[in-house]
Amino acid sequence: MNPADGPPRRVRVTAPRTTARPAPGSYPVIRELAEQSEVGELFVRSLIRSQLRLAVVVAVGFLLILIGIPVLLAVFPQIGELSVFTVPMPWLLLGLGVYPLVISCAALYVRGASRNEMRFRDLVDEDGSP
Amino acid sequence: MNAELNPVVGYVALTLVSLSTVLIGIYGLRISRTTGDFYVASRTVRPWWNASAIGGEYLSAASFLGVAGLILISGVDALWFPIGYTAGYLMLLLFVAAPLRRSGAYTIPDFAEARLESLMVRRVTSLLVVVVGWLYIVPQLHGAALTVQITTGLPAWVGAVAVIVVVCLSVVTGGMRSITFVQAFQYWLKLTALAVPIVFILLRLTADGSPLTDAGAVFAADLNTGGDASLYRNISLVIALLFGTLGLPHVLVRFYTNPDGASARRTTLIVLGLLSVFYLFPTMYGILGRIYTPDLAADGTADATVLLLPSRIFDGTAGDLLSALVTAGAFAAFLSTTSGLVVSLAGVVSQEFFQGSVKGFRGAAVIAAVIPLLLALATNTLALAGSVSMVFAFTASTICPLLLLGIWWRGLTDVGAVTGMLSGAVLCGGSILAAAALGPESARYEWLEQPALWTVPAAFAVTIVVSRVTATRTPGSVSRVLARLHTPEPAQRPQ
Repeated sequence: MNPADGPPRRVRVTAPRTTARPAPGSYPVIRELAEQSEVGELFVRSLIRSQLRLAVVVAVGFLLILIGIPVLLAVFPQIGELSVFTVPMPWLLLGLGVYPLVISCAALYVRGASRNEMRFRDLVDEDGSP
Repeated sequence: MNAELNPVVGYVALTLVSLSTVLIGIYGLRISRTTGDFYVASRTVRPWWNASAIGGEYLSAASFLGVAGLILISGVDALWFPIGYTAGYLMLLLFVAAPLRRSGAYTIPDFAEARLESLMVRRVTSLLVVVVGWLYIVPQLHGAALTVQITTGLPAWVGAVAVIVVVCLSVVTGGMRSITFVQAFQYWLKLTALAVPIVFILLRLTADGSPLTDAGAVFAADLNTGGDASLYRNISLVIALLFGTLGLPHVLVRFYTNPDGASARRTTLIVLGLLSVFYLFPTMYGILGRIYTPDLAADGTADATVLLLPSRIFDGTAGDLLSALVTAGAFAAFLSTTSGLVVSLAGVVSQEFFQGSVKGFRGAAVIAAVIPLLLALATNTLALAGSVSMVFAFTASTICPLLLLGIWWRGLTDVGAVTGMLSGAVLCGGSILAAAALGPESARYEWLEQPALWTVPAAFAVTIVVSRVTATRTPGSVSRVLARLHTPEPAQRPQ
């Protein structure tokens, strides 16, 4: 936009939202491939499966540790007696300890998911690109 | 009830926050650009800005006031609330963030229609999204009512009305919605509004040799005034918060400003960091509140802990300034969450009933804001964090199955989705209403009042079984749509 043209004309964005524009680069070759050939379809299915497996593993791992905290405290009440700077262990675990756990799970997942996508791109490139 | 604070402080803080919100709404319109710019700009927002904006919109009254209030009342059990609010975003990251960004849908009804090629699903989803949004605005207004009453001594309804008026003005005049900067600013304002006073409070208490934790006595359960939560209750609560976050209407639309699926993931990762840092502060207020404001639990205004703690420790101008800061932060929380919800609801309502015109959008915004106001004025203030958790349970039982199965399961059909959502709505809504009608003495009260643990699996089961039975109705586009949701964008490709 040229600033010399003065203030830009105001335009209201009123397009119906259902026909939202597709992702950048209009319709990617990679997807076209994935949709039109049987091999492509197979690649997409295996990508979805590996992403789902990764997400479920991280989610279940996180939930197990999370549920593990109250269970641990119930089974070993002596842990609850411990304290750091007068703050008892249950407060430390739930008020402070869970957050690094959440962030580590998230970071782990983001890395894994990108790796799955990279592998998918390599497969499609080898197989179908001219 | 008389104001405990200097009322001038309250007036100044509320006026400043409201005025700046309306002004930004008006000036935001002036610098709006062409259609192309609008889209391009929205796609080049850096993940940090976007993440701050998501945090700014998400951190509501329940986070800003409710968490500390609940710690005051029920001690260590209250810590499950901020854990659930944060971990909800982990689930969002794992199952929804990138595919939903790639779907190109702005709203949940858009997604439902595109995925299942069914107008009926769209209608039902729209209805549920509107109900969820309204129910979620009500606690924000209760929070505003409490804040105005505590800080200025005016009647409670003034707060709720003020929030709705400011939100309607800013949305109708141009919408602070499109300005990521404003929402990002709201996050940092809320964080500062809690962090600065607590630093001063801790310094002062340490210098005076006043107790910080009373040698650990502050953590003792015998300070709790609420009953102990059972294991069922805690687990059911965490399920509601984890899976309810996925379906909140104002959360989804924000992901659209990410350039692609991979950056939607990075943004969510940063959001998790921002939320984790934020929740440390309400927790500290709650803990200190157990020493310095225990009387609030007794007279039912525990949610005011954050607002009143600074003035209990500092006198005079210092106390006034710090109180003004937390009051401003609280009001920013009500305004940002409410306006985010009103805008997403207005989008849905105007699509359904006004053919998506600009005039229709304004009308829809007013409708979306006024109905929850009437609800808020007609109902009593519950504990904020508690009433919000019911909305999360309802969302988790209705919209969550549609999103998760729609994204990950080829077999979902329109009939399955609709029956699943409706049965989740009836079970969860009915159970919460039954709990309210029967009262805490009734048998199995906890199962009724905090139903997510059984209504969420029930909604999933109904969706899956009905989809299986109606398997012939699987849309023909399913492979194409799923490929679009899950394949990475080529723009990111390393060449």
